[in-house]
Amino acid sequence: MTAIRLGLRLGRWGLLGFSVLAFVSSLIQAVGFYQIAGHTAASRAAFAQSMSQVASQLTFILAPPSGLDTVGGYVEWRSFGGLAIVFAIWALVSGSGAARGDEEHGLVEAVLATGVTRSRWLASRVIGFAVASFVAAVASGLGLVAGAAGAGESVAFGSILGISVALAALGLSCYSVTLLIANLTAARVATAAAGAVLLALFLVNRLSQTFTWLVPWRWISPFHYYELNQPLAPGGAFDARATLTMIGIAMVGAAVAGVVFEWRDLGAPLVRWPSRHRSPSYEPSHSPLWRIPVARGLYERAAGLATWAAGVAAIGVLFVYLTKTVLQPLLSIPNIAHFLGAFAGGQLYTTFLGYFWLTFAQLLFAAFAIAQVARWSAEDSDGRLELILSNPRSRASVVVERAAVLALGAAVVAAVSGVAVALATHYEAMEVSGERLAEGTLLLVPFALVFAAAGAVLAAWKPRAAVGLLGGLAFASYLLDELGPLLKWPTWVQDFSAFKLYGTPLATGIDRGGLAIMVAIILVGFTASILLMERRDVGA
Amino acid sequence: MLREMAVSAIRTSKLSKDYGLGRGLFDLDLQVAPREVFGYLGPNGSGKTTTIRLLMGMIKPTAGGAYVFGLDCNRDYVEVKRKVGYLPGDMPQFGSLRGKEIVAYLGGMRGGADPGNVRAIAERFDLDLNRHFREYSSGNKRKLGILLAFMHRPDLLILDEPTNGLDPLNQQEFYELLHEARDGGATVFLSSHVLSEVEHVCDTVGILRAGKLVRVARLDELRAAGETSLEEIFLSYYSETDQSQKALPE
Repeated sequence: MTAIRLGLRLGRWGLLGFSVLAFVSSLIQAVGFYQIAGHTAASRAAFAQSMSQVASQLTFILAPPSGLDTVGGYVEWRSFGGLAIVFAIWALVSGSGAARGDEEHGLVEAVLATGVTRSRWLASRVIGFAVASFVAAVASGLGLVAGAAGAGESVAFGSILGISVALAALGLSCYSVTLLIANLTAARVATAAAGAVLLALFLVNRLSQTFTWLVPWRWISPFHYYELNQPLAPGGAFDARATLTMIGIAMVGAAVAGVVFEWRDLGAPLVRWPSRHRSPSYEPSHSPLWRIPVARGLYERAAGLATWAAGVAAIGVLFVYLTKTVLQPLLSIPNIAHFLGAFAGGQLYTTFLGYFWLTFAQLLFAAFAIAQVARWSAEDSDGRLELILSNPRSRASVVVERAAVLALGAAVVAAVSGVAVALATHYEAMEVSGERLAEGTLLLVPFALVFAAAGAVLAAWKPRAAVGLLGGLAFASYLLDELGPLLKWPTWVQDFSAFKLYGTPLATGIDRGGLAIMVAIILVGFTASILLMERRDVGA
Repeated sequence: MLREMAVSAIRTSKLSKDYGLGRGLFDLDLQVAPREVFGYLGPNGSGKTTTIRLLMGMIKPTAGGAYVFGLDCNRDYVEVKRKVGYLPGDMPQFGSLRGKEIVAYLGGMRGGADPGNVRAIAERFDLDLNRHFREYSSGNKRKLGILLAFMHRPDLLILDEPTNGLDPLNQQEFYELLHEARDGGATVFLSSHVLSEVEHVCDTVGILRAGKLVRVARLDELRAAGETSLEEIFLSYYSETDQSQKALPE
């Protein structure tokens, strides 16, 4: 019981944060539905028709919807579809932290020293996450209930419970998969390896919508079983079998992770490759890069940057093929080809590639910025910043160097992915404006810096809470961009969203006003961060 | 007389850091002369690390000031750090970086580490710089911290519990390194719980109690005056039965 309580306590901030996020997400979508779709059958049918067109362009992220003329069907698609990704990310971070992060910080050793068995400790973490994910999933359901109640409608309790159980089961299965992978691999690659596996499982399911050769493989993906549950949409149902399969994946994954955990040494992977014999060295590294500001930061992050660049480039190439696969059948129908041509102003592939790829790339670059801010926070809390500042360096120079490293890192990722996307479009004989593609790709750098500037302020103000707050800010920014136009909010309100400021550079060129605002935010953010850093205590 | 005329290596004036609820450091008046080895004693939570962080300009005083070689630790903190080698109480995580990369990284912030000095210290402690930081034992992490503090031959060494985690052989090596640094003209300010260590390496001791400096004494003067051992002096300020109520000796 004590171990379970500790497991719950360790995850309390995740529980609280994701519950709030899930509640707000469903509430906003439900309220948005009534505001946009109206209250008559005709207006809702028209809304459903326009939304299904949007949905057809988002099948690489969200499952095809049903019952979009009802609040249940709409929220199931918009909120619970997106929450599947959010819960998977939560499971990844939480699971790798439980399996390896706590071990690196000595917590696991301390707990095991009290006589708690390894399997019991692992079980307590699984139970802790199961409780947390169920609470957060129920919070999401309650957001829908609150939104519907505001419009005088109600949603069946059984449907809410069904979708909550399914979402929690998905989160739990992703958590167990993460635990398993993290126990098999070395601590330093645990999160990346588990993330790659979860991404692959997600893509196998989602892309099977477009690439039929993936259909026979989607049974391996817990996301497939989650999508079989559609209890909120009219005519849909809670799929008990699919949910039990997800719970089965979770139990098997956790059990195998438990066996691996029993077998392996603490701090080591299950299989340890024999290390090459190296004779001891008493020399410092002779690389001159360590002496050059900014270059040393990039050099230190070289492996991480290479992984980001390769990963973003690979996803970019995938989106090129996706764009072509989606558009080509439509172009064979003359009426639709005419309509699409008119919509895209003659730049068909350029416009749609921008819509598909750069929309997703924005999320990736926001995640890149958040990952760098997480590193700044970690430097603060683990004492590395203190050691850096024990050298003759001003605090301002530390902030400036961080910003420069992040900007150049983002530029490297943008350049590599831009070249990969350009080559893929050339190979696929897609007519895409090289100039616009270059502009749109490079615009991702200031876009990432907007989040970095906000993160720099948060890291200087509340380093321990910076990542959570920035994640919430990014989510709010995304929602603002999504809902602002639908709810007809004033432009100045929508301009608070970095996603809005980025605009649609492939379709309409760079929005110079948006770029100017982004640059202003970057300058103000980093200046504020310098002022806060100069005033605050470090290491206290 | 000469001592008074020279610029103090460290000087604090009514230095305070108030964390509330009686925690922190209060009205610290302290002088450490150049080439002195000053031992800073006190139990956990007495304010040793707070003093060190104030000297390093990491935290801001709520009152008073601290000066290193006449430079204001708060205002001139960049200049101060040119003269200081610092060993924090806990080494931060450097993950998959190798020892040699950490040395080059932090040395690079000073314009480059002296490879000869790095090699000499690393060999002395048998610290393999080819290994990843995560593979280091706690003792090896401490050795790396010592290397980072000493590698640029600073004028002032500020060391927070430097021998924590070191085995007796390496402790001896560290004491020799300390003496050599002092003989080379460096001043040393070290905090410690280990009374025998302080007695062994320090010229002067300062005893902290609940954030206040209650005694400063030169060890040779204590010995000449036939005072009791440092342990007895230290314990006289810390009665187990009534720590907070005990009247301070004059």
